[in-house]
Amino acid sequence: MKGDNMCIFKETVDFEGASQGQKYIDLSIPSNPEYVSIVRLTASVIANSIGFDFEEIEDIKVAVSEACNNVVVHSKKEENFDIRFIKENEKIGVIVKDNGNGFDLADYSSPDLKNPSDHGLGIFVIKSLMDRVEVNSSKEKGTEIKMYKNLL
Amino acid sequence: MSLSIEKRYHQDKDLWDVKIMGEVDIYTSDKVKETLNEMIEEKKSEIQIDCKELSYIDSSGLGVLIGILKKLKEEGKNLVVLNARPNILKLLSITGLDKVFVIKENQNEG
Repeated sequence: MKGDNMCIFKETVDFEGASQGQKYIDLSIPSNPEYVSIVRLTASVIANSIGFDFEEIEDIKVAVSEACNNVVVHSKKEENFDIRFIKENEKIGVIVKDNGNGFDLADYSSPDLKNPSDHGLGIFVIKSLMDRVEVNSSKEKGTEIKMYKNLL
Repeated sequence: MSLSIEKRYHQDKDLWDVKIMGEVDIYTSDKVKETLNEMIEEKKSEIQIDCKELSYIDSSGLGVLIGILKKLKEEGKNLVVLNARPNILKLLSITGLDKVFVIKENQNEG
C-alpha cells in the first residue's frame, strides 16, 4: 500500500515530555484505522512487562486506542503519526502525536450521559481510565495526547 | 484484527440474536454497523447482543451501538447487551451507557 511505511525505533520524532534517561519505544504508523490494533497490541506487551495486571492492561489498551482513533479521524490520511511508549519502574507513559489540523478542545468536555451521542466519547474515556492526561491541540502543531498510568 | 458476527432472527420472540466475537475497534466497527443496519432494515426488532466472546470494544464500537439504539427506539425497541466481560462492563459504566442499553449478565444464548 502506497505510503504505508511502519517503523519501530524511529529516531527523528520530536517529542516533548520524555526526559533523558527514560526508556522509550517509538512507533510510527500510517494514519489509517487498519493499524490501530498494532499500537494496541504493543501497548499491551509493554504494560505487561512493567507489571500491570489484566484489568489495568485492558484500560491502557482502550485509552491508547482512543487516542489513535482521534488521530485517524482528525489527521491527514497520507501521513504517519507517532506514538511514544515511556517505560518506567512504576509507571507507563504514552504520547500520541499527529500533524493534523487539531480540534477544538471545548468540544471535548464531558459527554451528556443522559443523552448519549455517537461521537466525542474518546477523550472522556481516556481521562477516566488513566491517572494523568494532557491534551494539547493547535492548528499549526496538530494534536498531542499524553497519558500516564501508575502501577498501584 | 479478527471479528466475526453471527445473527439469527427468532420469530416467536420477535428478537434478533447476535453474537459478536473478537475485537470491535475503529477498523472493524464499520462491519458491525453494516450488519446491524441490514438487520434492522429487514426487521426492526429488539436486538440482543451476546458479548461472551467479545474481547475488546472502544468508543468507535459503542458509537455504532448508540446509533443502532436510536433507530430501535423509534419503534420503542431495546438493545440488550448480554454476557459482557468485566472490562467491557467497566467501559459501559464509565460512559453511562449501562443506563442506556439493557445489560443482562450470565445468560445462555437464546
